[in-house]
Amino acid sequence: MSDKYECALDLMRRLPPQNVEENLSKLLDIVDADLGDDLLSAIDQPLKVRRCKQTGKDYLACDYNRDGDSYRSPWSNEYDPELPDGATPNATLRKLEVHANEAFDTYREMYYEGGVSSVYTFEIEDKFAVVVLIKKVGEGARRMKGAWDSIHVFEVQERGRNAHYKLTSTVMLYMITNKPELGHFNLSGSLTRQAEQDCPVDDQSAHVINIGRMVEDMEIKMRNSLQEVYFGKTKDIVNDLRSVGSIKEGKEQADIQKELVGKLMLRGNSQ
Amino acid sequence: MTEFSVDEKVQIAASFLLESPPGEVNDVFNDIRTLIGDDDALQSGILTSLEDHNTEQLITVALPESETEVIISKFGQLEGGRFADPRSKQSFAFDHMRLVASDLQPLEISDDVESLREAIDNQVQAYVSDHYPHGVTTVHASGSKVTIVIVDNKYNPSNYWNGRWRAVWEVEKGGSQLKGSAKVQVHYYEDGNVQLNSTKDFELDINSEHDEKKAASTIVKAIEKAEKEYQMAINENYTELSENTFKELRRALPYTRNKVDWHKIFNYKLGNSIVNK
Repeated sequence: MSDKYECALDLMRRLPPQNVEENLSKLLDIVDADLGDDLLSAIDQPLKVRRCKQTGKDYLACDYNRDGDSYRSPWSNEYDPELPDGATPNATLRKLEVHANEAFDTYREMYYEGGVSSVYTFEIEDKFAVVVLIKKVGEGARRMKGAWDSIHVFEVQERGRNAHYKLTSTVMLYMITNKPELGHFNLSGSLTRQAEQDCPVDDQSAHVINIGRMVEDMEIKMRNSLQEVYFGKTKDIVNDLRSVGSIKEGKEQADIQKELVGKLMLRGNSQ
Repeated sequence: MTEFSVDEKVQIAASFLLESPPGEVNDVFNDIRTLIGDDDALQSGILTSLEDHNTEQLITVALPESETEVIISKFGQLEGGRFADPRSKQSFAFDHMRLVASDLQPLEISDDVESLREAIDNQVQAYVSDHYPHGVTTVHASGSKVTIVIVDNKYNPSNYWNGRWRAVWEVEKGGSQLKGSAKVQVHYYEDGNVQLNSTKDFELDINSEHDEKKAASTIVKAIEKAEKEYQMAINENYTELSENTFKELRRALPYTRNKVDWHKIFNYKLGNSIVNK
């Protein structure tokens, strides 16, 4: 890919994730249209919840179910606003999509106890893609707001009775607190991970099982990483910038301890 | 879609500079340099944003032949784009692109608040060195007002993280109110982009003291207490977010305490009201 593409991605990895939508739209203003299209599919944005007019069920809108200015509902397979010649998956993929949506609706309820999920499929040359999306917005109790967006993109290549799954997962996590003793606190961003796996595919329903397992394993791993990065690493960095206790006293105590250990060692050696 | 002129594009790109995470303004600059692809237009169009970034982010600079650092901020800004270092009683020119100080000259000092400024400066230095491992402070006087500026940076790009703590405090000579703000920024970017942005404004009542040493001590003690409480509130908030907000978003395991059996995914009996919501 071009230098400009790499630089645009590097830039978006540095600018505050809190403003990703605004910054991406500014970025599209300064690059040419082709690069803009590449960036739109490469840079994850917070998922938008829309209501399906045909079924009344909520679904998630992103670049993967967009055609022009319309979004396709995974429940009805229809575009909103209407788009008679909008792209839709072929019959086999649509069947997989319907099953996967049903399965991930259950998965979502079991892990998220709420939220919205959507699965989209589409063909890419001799392969196909399956995109699993989950969004959960917290209740906002105790002046703390949170939101979780999962974006799992699978590239699937069928090879005889096996399939090769290449997964790229991004979880966006937003956490905002406002209260008098703390002021305004915003801890937000995203982590991205990849995984690849070969699995047997006896019939089409095996895809849902294989993809489901990979998503579940990935989300368990990523939840641990998020926990570590958000509440461990960034907290440690804050406390590296300023010390609650006196640095001088801390150092004196460390010196005394060192001296004590030294003396004990000496005694141990002389016995 | 609107097609923007090069100058308009430079202005859009310049706004990215103001959002650079701690210690990454050069990386952001290099990215937009490649994206704009017109060095002349960029150089001339970007200077104001660089200045804004440097003064807003409290960039530090070592004066020529000196080891102590001075903070670049609007509180130390003089005419002709020069900056003041009240401690060494010098002024200097500052290159916002290369971040270098030069052309030292003696600084005119107004006597009104200089002795109070000096008393505060001494005590703030002691406080900063005891609570900010890489802290730098500059204390300015203007009219009857003293402004205390504190910054601590820790950059660790080889481990994909950087952080900055900024604080600005203002007090009038003989005044009984201390106004301030603190801003904490952290960027973690290994296989991702996670940022903490935390800000708090303060308005504290303090005892007005005539003796300047006493006044300085009262002011610095009030700052120390407020900043300590703020830091403890941040730490407590981390615990609460982790134990409540985060857990409410996604469970570690389903309520069955087992991973999903994907062969039976269509057989799970959930309360139908939940599934069909």
